[in-house]
Amino acid sequence: MNYVFALTVPLLFLGSFIFALVKKVSLYDSFTEGVKGAIPLVVSIFPYIASVTMLSLLLDVSGMESKLVGWLTPAFSFFGVPAEIAPLLFVKPLSGSGAIAVLSDILTKYGVDSYIARCACVAYGSSETIFYIGAVYFAGLKRKKMTLALAIAVFSYLASVVLCCFLCRFM
Amino acid sequence: MNALFSIVFLLATLLLLFLSPESFLPTLLQGATKSATLCFSLISTYAVWLGLMNVWKDSGVTRVVSRSMQPLAKKLFKTSDPETLDAVCMNMSVNLLGISGAATPYGIKAANLLDKADSAEYSSSMLFVINATSIQLIPTSIIGVRTALHSVAPADIILPTLITTVFSTLLAVALVRLLIPPKPREIQPITATKKVLTRGAGI
Repeated sequence: MNYVFALTVPLLFLGSFIFALVKKVSLYDSFTEGVKGAIPLVVSIFPYIASVTMLSLLLDVSGMESKLVGWLTPAFSFFGVPAEIAPLLFVKPLSGSGAIAVLSDILTKYGVDSYIARCACVAYGSSETIFYIGAVYFAGLKRKKMTLALAIAVFSYLASVVLCCFLCRFM
Repeated sequence: MNALFSIVFLLATLLLLFLSPESFLPTLLQGATKSATLCFSLISTYAVWLGLMNVWKDSGVTRVVSRSMQPLAKKLFKTSDPETLDAVCMNMSVNLLGISGAATPYGIKAANLLDKADSAEYSSSMLFVINATSIQLIPTSIIGVRTALHSVAPADIILPTLITTVFSTLLAVALVRLLIPPKPREIQPITATKKVLTRGAGI
């Protein structure tokens, strides 16, 4: 299984590059043009990552996090979700770059390949910044009844978290 | 996010005041250091993937994926307006390929066009849940972070992520169809003209 995934990425590059050459794209120019975007992108998300990392460490050092985990464990374990990923679950619908800061904090704290860390990764990767998207996409429109759509999105998000923690047990 | 940040920051600082006030500043500085390291590894991840994504854009892969989605989009959004379909399909394919940031302009364009379309509430809700449940094929930034932290198998979260994200999107799409049904056909022309009129007056 791992070998199949190890093949995916090189094959993806190979396929894309051959297709681009067939389409007469100047490969080097196009690739470097894309790479150019990496630093501005990271610069633009740095403030959020830095602030949320500070917050996340503060939460940890003040002992609030272990209390929070303690309170949430009974409710979370009912659904098979480790309460340690709770901070991530709260931040992700609000801020994508904030969530990546929390995610990296969880990964260092519990070990990258631990069950908790894998749950966190899958929960991060399979969800989106629900409230941010709602605000950006529908800000310009006359107030349609988006509350129901928002509720559906949040419900699907919670259901997917339960599923992902279940899948991570044996995948 | 503002409320969450303020509440958690204030509460944690108050607690630290009693527990160990001397660790406050070192904690913040350590957080900033950690975030700088994280950003450094993100630069390398994005350099690799943004390069590939630009090649996709220039060679028309994005267009090809977008075109293959047209039939599905027609059914999902109950619209046959080519401009709306194009925006919706570009939005979905860019999301699928994980081209960060590129989905937003198409999404906003699609949202504005759908707002004018027939049964706008249904189709806008559909656009929102599809974007809000994420349908990314390769979770590039997570693999990047995992690699940077020396995971033994950075990519082994791809499959569960894919299953989970497909599940949440399907669930949300099904719920929208169930709870926000598109309006019946016969009243469409009237509502459509009305909307055009009010829009025109607004401008």
